[in-house]
Amino acid sequence: MSENKFEAVSSLLDQHDIDVDLLDEVKDDDKLNDSWGRYHLIGDIMRGESADFIDLELNQNIAVAIAAEPTLLAPKARLNFTQQVKAKVVHLIKPAGQFAIAASAAGLMVLGVQQANVEEQITAVPAQVWQPLPFGGVADPVSYNFATKAQPSQKQATIERQKRLHAILSDHNMQIKLKSSNAIKAIGATESDVPEQEFNN
Amino acid sequence: MKAKISLLLLAFSAMPAFSQQQVETQPPASELAPPSQAAAVKLPSALQWVQRLSSSLKELNFDTSFVVVRNNRAEPYRWLHGVEENNELELLTLLNGPRKESIRIDNNVSYFESDNPPYTVNSSAISGPIPRAFSGNVEKLQQSYDFITVGKSRILGRPAQLIRLECKDKQRFGYWLWLDIQSGLLLKAAVISRNGELLEQIQFTHLLITEHSNDLLKQLITVELPSPAASIAKPIALPWQVNWLPSGFELVNSNRGLLSTINEQVESLMYNDGLVDVSIYVSRSDEAARQASINQTGATVLLSQLREGYEINVVGKIPANTALQIAESVSFN
Repeated sequence: MSENKFEAVSSLLDQHDIDVDLLDEVKDDDKLNDSWGRYHLIGDIMRGESADFIDLELNQNIAVAIAAEPTLLAPKARLNFTQQVKAKVVHLIKPAGQFAIAASAAGLMVLGVQQANVEEQITAVPAQVWQPLPFGGVADPVSYNFATKAQPSQKQATIERQKRLHAILSDHNMQIKLKSSNAIKAIGATESDVPEQEFNN
Repeated sequence: MKAKISLLLLAFSAMPAFSQQQVETQPPASELAPPSQAAAVKLPSALQWVQRLSSSLKELNFDTSFVVVRNNRAEPYRWLHGVEENNELELLTLLNGPRKESIRIDNNVSYFESDNPPYTVNSSAISGPIPRAFSGNVEKLQQSYDFITVGKSRILGRPAQLIRLECKDKQRFGYWLWLDIQSGLLLKAAVISRNGELLEQIQFTHLLITEHSNDLLKQLITVELPSPAASIAKPIALPWQVNWLPSGFELVNSNRGLLSTINEQVESLMYNDGLVDVSIYVSRSDEAARQASINQTGATVLLSQLREGYEINVVGKIPANTALQIAESVSFN
């Protein structure tokens, strides 16, 4: 088989010159037929279109290689183990995504309840002035001490509690910052002696 | 044409190598070791990965940005770290909303916040969204957490290794860390509940590792910072105790002070297990006893309970059940 026959097949593949005689020859000659297929495969690989084909070949080769291996007990167990782990991970990740929405919807926003929210609640109150509410408690939203004495409404109690929770949360975060790295090592109570202003958040 | 063929050869020559690798990873029949142990011999262990994270956080010069996602809210941060003339420099800035900056020069951390006068504390790490434990003594975490190597994935356009920190006693949340295979730095972190709920996550959006530290950091050396507040280790005796906590939690602080915004006297104890901080607040209350209520933002749980004339609040990144057990265990003298 001459070299230029192969070159002719190559150029045929690239559709440079289509020779009907050559096509017949390729069809009949096993070797040319083979190279025709191989050139197509090369082209496919270069264009990145051969994923399925390569996969198939790899699988077959691996299957052959595995079949040729002596039978061992441990590797089988190992394979099962990794499969289990993989299955677990997939299982965990999926619910994580779904739950993220549910958790965020269900979770109460402690931090969200801030001054702006409080004022919003208060501005709604004047419309309800006709209700038998203690006037002082309604008109003086800044002084929560006063409101407490005058038996606050359910709403105000909730606001107050949330304000309190918010204060506790910021204090917790502040305490984490103030806690020095030395204190982590020491087992036993320590007090961070910091100015009052710093303690306040 | 020849180039085409050699490419094909390359594709197929990879196959025998692959099957050879298969052979190598299979342990001989005489060694019937558990698969996880067999894997540990070849690859770095999960502990080694976390140790590498810890040293990378201390040694590398990096300029990075990340976003903290919790409850549909995203907080973007910029984080710079560098080593300059044997000084460790670090800058963490909150990019949205009121300014919040933390500057660390070696063991002094200064906090600049819009609602507080600036202050400095003695600490080897900034207290922020990234747990301080990651740059500290990670071995200590093994008391309460199992380190598990999971798998590789692609995060921030880089190959990453996923490491899970699973607590041993089901009383804490799990931490998933995606670490940069190249540098060992953090690329993503998530706090996951026992049920697999994603509670909070930190996603890095940019990472630049440089040979020299950032110019911005170098300026920090000359900046005048507030002098550190002197801390005196002085235990306060409180008229109540916490009788139960998950194992590994140690008392780190006890305090009696005013909650500024509501101007109310509270007493508190803080515990830490190496990774998580839990505070217990107790104050007198004349309100009627109330069932425990739970508020949660991201992974932070705030449990509030009213009994025996005291209001008990438990705060920390722990499951609500754990917080409830802690609150129930508080006894009064």
